[in-house]
Amino acid sequence: MSITTTGNLGPMILQSLAPAMLYVPTPTMNYITVCDKVSMPTNGGTTCRFMRPRALVPPTIQLGNSGIDPPAQVPQRDIIDAQMAFFGTGCIINEQVILQDQEGVLAWVSERLAVAMRQAEDLILRDYIVSAASEINAGGGSNGFNPTNLGMSDFSLVATTLDTNNAYKFMSGIEGMDRFGTGPVRSAYFMLSSTELQSDFDSLVGSGFLNQWNYPTNASALPSEFGSAFNIRVLTSSEAPVARNAAINNVGVSNDVYYNTVLGKQAVTHIDQDGYSMNLIYRDPYYSGMLAQNATLAVKFAQAQAITQDTAIRNLLCTRLSNLGV
Amino acid sequence: MAEYSKLARGKFTSTGGAQIVNLPFQPDYVELFNFTAAGTAITGAAAQNKVPHAWWDAYMGQGTAMEEVYVGATPSVLQYDTVAANGISTFAAGQLLQFGPTLTVTVLSKNSPAAVTTATNHGLTSGDVVIFEGLFETSTTGMPQINGIPFTVTVTGLTTFTIPWNTNQSNYTAISVGTTGTPRVKKVLYPYLYFPGQTFISAITTGATTTIDTTSAHNFVVGQEVAFRIPSQWGTVQLNSLPNLLTPGSPVYGYVIAVTDYNTVVVNIDSSAYSSFTSNPTVASVPGLSYPQIVAVGDVNTGGVSISSGSVLYPAPQYSPIGTTLVSTINGPAIKGAFVNNTSQGFIVGIGAGTLATSSILAGTAGDLIIWHAYLHDYSNP
Repeated sequence: MSITTTGNLGPMILQSLAPAMLYVPTPTMNYITVCDKVSMPTNGGTTCRFMRPRALVPPTIQLGNSGIDPPAQVPQRDIIDAQMAFFGTGCIINEQVILQDQEGVLAWVSERLAVAMRQAEDLILRDYIVSAASEINAGGGSNGFNPTNLGMSDFSLVATTLDTNNAYKFMSGIEGMDRFGTGPVRSAYFMLSSTELQSDFDSLVGSGFLNQWNYPTNASALPSEFGSAFNIRVLTSSEAPVARNAAINNVGVSNDVYYNTVLGKQAVTHIDQDGYSMNLIYRDPYYSGMLAQNATLAVKFAQAQAITQDTAIRNLLCTRLSNLGV
Repeated sequence: MAEYSKLARGKFTSTGGAQIVNLPFQPDYVELFNFTAAGTAITGAAAQNKVPHAWWDAYMGQGTAMEEVYVGATPSVLQYDTVAANGISTFAAGQLLQFGPTLTVTVLSKNSPAAVTTATNHGLTSGDVVIFEGLFETSTTGMPQINGIPFTVTVTGLTTFTIPWNTNQSNYTAISVGTTGTPRVKKVLYPYLYFPGQTFISAITTGATTTIDTTSAHNFVVGQEVAFRIPSQWGTVQLNSLPNLLTPGSPVYGYVIAVTDYNTVVVNIDSSAYSSFTSNPTVASVPGLSYPQIVAVGDVNTGGVSISSGSVLYPAPQYSPIGTTLVSTINGPAIKGAFVNNTSQGFIVGIGAGTLATSSILAGTAGDLIIWHAYLHDYSNP
């Protein structure tokens, strides 16, 4: 008896495309999430200008009975300027690809271009904040580096600094509930951190760090929210800024330096120009050479950014407690 | 066929140092013509090792080049040569926190400015920015107080440079050969992608106005509004902008009234009665030591960069990496003092020497007129 196997009668077409595309690992884009948003008008020049009045001196001295008015105050204001810049990228796709490829190449390339654009917005904001916000080195940890790993006192120091500066918090507090293992959450600023620091946050749980799943309710928690400490709620992303091997201690061991951006409302503003924040441009092959062979897909956008409340933002630099082991 | 190819041409006058050329793309082929060298008499010592023609293709690898170089004294003749390092390379300055190779520091002297010697050629150009790591002489002495601070370098030799910091103070111990620590230095590749921003302070001169020295380029302009963050170890905490006791909650700022050079500005704050600045913290204070900073928070300007000889009508924002040198960004015009984006791409002509003609310099000697052509091809095989 002979058995027919795939060795002598294999399927004529060996492969079949799975019905869904695999996911593309994409970092959480936290920076764009926490920025104020402003749209610069069309025909508005190159530079977006912000104005912030200064406080007047409170009149705490009584008028007395002289009938004489006190001297007038001169109102002052601060001006902040940000220049618009334009960005873009695209793909040239030969018509043979579009005609012959089994899946909708134009559809998924469009999606990837859109994600690339949004990620560029986030990375630009991230790097701008690294370069423009003032820094505090963590000193509450015990690893001996400068900056040290994060200690609870570092959260307290930064929150105190922003509170003293009268920064506006993003989130209201969460009242405690009679739920096992949960604890109340203070009204809070956001801290944008690296996912690589999550093990360090875990090590602070016994010292006062509250994991997001220990909130009385996580209805107000953002998807990337890892937890909170004092008046700071921590959002993590793998694209948070890190300077690799930028610290070496006194016994020659190196460590990475992380930039944790702690900020309140209106600290950073993201500016587009007249809604020019997303242009997906498709040109069919008609526009390409005499044989019209190549289509193009592209995105472009306009973006400026400014620290609009410098007193409401600090980069808290830290190293890790221990090596990642990854 | 050149439907999608990118072609560009231009010229620059050599400074004798590396030259950055910004382009809307990263080329895969670059050709250089040193018009001055080509026109130099081909006899005599002065003509030796001039490079009238050089080119680079991406297939050669980053930082290399081929060149035609004059060799021999009387008469000089052209000879083919290669450049193995510091030749032509492309760059994409789009993200911060990128660094060059880590170099071992063999000497960091007690001087003002502090002088640094590296174990191997550093390849730096004056105006580059570096950070140090592991500046321990022993586990409890050395100069770890300046670890992590970005410093602009002034190159004094192939393995030496200075940094704008006074290390000739009591709490600093010199780093020297035989140090038990692991002192290192590395170049910050793109330090000014966004400006103005936050800069570390190396010295403050108090008085009727306040003079600020910074460790790297501040990129401020006259009219810049600035704030200070001075931790208590550094002295002049009265400059800190909050809290303002007269109007609680209202920050106090200063304005730049003069820009002396790339790392010195004068601010209109009367600091006559303020505490002196000190840059002499102890080694023991280092874990958790934060640094004194000056931060751009706004400006009071209404116009852009002024027109100058050879400039366009409405010049782009400029930054100053060293001295009083001004470098234009690729942007359009903006209000002076505005927050601007300085990301860019293009190619760099390095100061590499020929493999055979070892005293040739690819980037030419100061004053040479160099014409360049750059291409990004549609089609490459492979």
